[in-house]
Amino acid sequence: MTDTQPAISIRDLTFTYRIREEPAIHNINLELHPGELMLMVGASGSGKSTIMRAINGLIPRTYRGTMEGSINLFGKDVNEHSMAELSQTVGTLLQDPERQIVTSKVLNEVAFGLENLALPREEILQRVDETLGYLNIMKLRERETFRLSGGEKQIVGVAGVLAMRPRILLLDEPLASLDPASAHESLRIFRELANQGIAVLLVEHRVDDALAIDPDTVVYLENGRIVYSGSPDGLMQTADFHRVKLPASVVMQRAKAEPEPVYKPAVGQVGHLGEELVRFQNVGFRYSNDTSTILHDINFSVRQGDIIALLGPNGAGKTTLVKHVLGLLKPTSGEVRLEGVASKDSTVATAAKTVGYVFQNPSQMLFAPSVQEELAYGPTNLRHDKATMEKNIRWALETIHMSEYRDSPPLALSYGQQKRVSIASILAMRSRILMMDEPTAGQDYWNYRSFMDGILQMPGFDAVLFITHDLDLALTYATRILLLSNGRLAADGPTADVLQDEELLRSCRVLPTSLLRLNLQHLPTTGRFMRAEQLAHAVPNP
Amino acid sequence: MLVAWKYKFRNSFIDTFDPRARWIVSFLVLASVLNFWDFRFIIFFFALSMLQVKLTKLTWEETKRAWTFIIVLVVFIVGINAFVFGRGGPALLGDIEPHVFWERVILLPFGWSWTLNLTAEKTAFAITQIVRMLTVASLFFIIPWTMDPSLYGVTFGGMGLPYRFAFAMDLAFRFVPTLARDFQVTLDAQKARGFEIERLDGGVVATIRKVAPLLVPVVMNAIIAGEDIVNAMDLRCFGLKERTWIGKLTYQTRDYVLIAFGITLLVVSLVLNHVFGLGEFWVPQWLIDLAG
Repeated sequence: MTDTQPAISIRDLTFTYRIREEPAIHNINLELHPGELMLMVGASGSGKSTIMRAINGLIPRTYRGTMEGSINLFGKDVNEHSMAELSQTVGTLLQDPERQIVTSKVLNEVAFGLENLALPREEILQRVDETLGYLNIMKLRERETFRLSGGEKQIVGVAGVLAMRPRILLLDEPLASLDPASAHESLRIFRELANQGIAVLLVEHRVDDALAIDPDTVVYLENGRIVYSGSPDGLMQTADFHRVKLPASVVMQRAKAEPEPVYKPAVGQVGHLGEELVRFQNVGFRYSNDTSTILHDINFSVRQGDIIALLGPNGAGKTTLVKHVLGLLKPTSGEVRLEGVASKDSTVATAAKTVGYVFQNPSQMLFAPSVQEELAYGPTNLRHDKATMEKNIRWALETIHMSEYRDSPPLALSYGQQKRVSIASILAMRSRILMMDEPTAGQDYWNYRSFMDGILQMPGFDAVLFITHDLDLALTYATRILLLSNGRLAADGPTADVLQDEELLRSCRVLPTSLLRLNLQHLPTTGRFMRAEQLAHAVPNP
Repeated sequence: MLVAWKYKFRNSFIDTFDPRARWIVSFLVLASVLNFWDFRFIIFFFALSMLQVKLTKLTWEETKRAWTFIIVLVVFIVGINAFVFGRGGPALLGDIEPHVFWERVILLPFGWSWTLNLTAEKTAFAITQIVRMLTVASLFFIIPWTMDPSLYGVTFGGMGLPYRFAFAMDLAFRFVPTLARDFQVTLDAQKARGFEIERLDGGVVATIRKVAPLLVPVVMNAIIAGEDIVNAMDLRCFGLKERTWIGKLTYQTRDYVLIAFGITLLVVSLVLNHVFGLGEFWVPQWLIDLAG
């Protein structure tokens, strides 16, 4: 395969954005051949997106700056390709399918690029149907795009790119917003496309998942430089396993050489649950009489000491459920009680004194001119006194590792930093119950693990609940799992009990991970679930 | 990404027309209404507009929020403005000898004074203006519920507008409900941080400060979303050349009949107004008598 002309050939590429002083990437050299799948790995800010933009022409067309070195696509310099040529050669799937989709109907979305190339109408329709058929999503053809689930949006995004028959496919963290089963299905399709002869460049920090589809080569970036380039096996020994999520067995092996990590949660211990804080009683919900029911007959309670992970597929109703605790939504049937008071008899402002809720998307809440003022907003509304407020803001900033950004404007920070500020702005309110919607989305592995450690080791919370697609996050931190599927509670129980039932997990589109398998294997010895670094020390050498 | 309005196919009489014909006729009717300030003519157009609403098979339940919004807006802003100040209409109101119901002189500092009065003419003008605005609003407000959003682009393109403009209209139409959704999410997120919309008191500056947590994220998100859309469109070749629209629209006989009706209406209106001088502002005699 390697004797063919490379699809992408990058030589000594250095790029500096016009608004920055430091180069975003230094001396990048890489080569990708047709039919190969390359996995590009690195923490946020490592330069992955910059490399992609240089290949697909957004640099220099949209993002300006100074570029040195060269990029050749099929032997021709990228700057010599016209935009029409380039976008038929390189297909790009953006990080978030929400950002990829521009039209209102699936048919139009898949046809969009072809319409812009002014192909005849009949040919477009034929190509659209071919693509939909190939991806096995013909049933979505007439659907409205905004009503699709996260996984469906992703695959429609892929269809829109594939219909243009690109020879190179760039995938920018395509798994970020997908449930595990959808992520797995997407990965399988990417492998299949590579097998058909397309050169696929996959940027992803869920390395553990991405390795399942046998990438031909792996590139590992740190601070804009290539640190490793070669076979996946080599990466296992080179990449920093604190910063990139490697398979659990590898981490377990390598972590033996390090001291055992200390993690002592301050929120409750299993078996010692206190008073009931939240109670869902026969809760049903729908937005209006002419829409379908989103939640069906939900019953559970949150008690003092609970650390709950709420798992379930895209569109299962997880966010809708959590919004009920705060009274942002009121049940259509049944009732939700917070500290004994039914939500229909209370206001959101009252509930906010007890419950802190971090929304999924930070850009929907950040507004202040500085991080300090952003963090003071909630506590001021709750009328905390100055000294308490100051103390809590300082703690919140330390927990998310952003003390030095205190005076920076939140809107100028990176997405990952904004997400952490949004979490801190709720932490500073020192609520008894903390709820987080996808707290790890858009975060590096190292960052999210360290702030989750920080939050859960800090005394003060009576209960914590988080929504996640990341099974490893759930098994590492949660003492209890709620599994939601199609608006019904499919399971509610201690983490080890619920996660042992593989069939149940699969029925809720949750797939067992290498860490789960490793934990299950050693459960008789360890007695509980733990992270791979702890397993390394808890399990005696064979 | 952008969300769409609550369109659904209702198999109504209106659904059988080409969307281009509907736009064209709506504008022809609009141009016709603008010829008249006489309530007796305007009520005809109002009836026509209501007939269209009726024929869409829209239910009250679906549209009551939009209706409430329009009625409140028109009655309070346009109505009261016209009623109290007599503004926003034909200049001729100033020339008519007013028949006064009620009058009060308000003394202002520096020896200025201001006469506030209600007259027969202002009353007639306010009512005429309200009905006129409601006619125009109801002509167009049914569009989100009754036109297929996937045809917005080809509709405008098919009316001869440049493709860039036509696609921009497509995006603009879907931008409005997207903004509404984003606003709701931000409102919820700030409520979770203890924001209370009920506590919006104090002066103008204080109020603006208090709504900043709502407005800043919504505006910023709109800007970011705009950039996303531009990137996504660039990556798929938008703007290189005249594009194909896969949506297909064909005029039927009924569409030509509809357009012919619209043109006739406009011609008749122009003739009545400019040739026969009909349709000028009219105050019923009984209202003048009432003022004495």
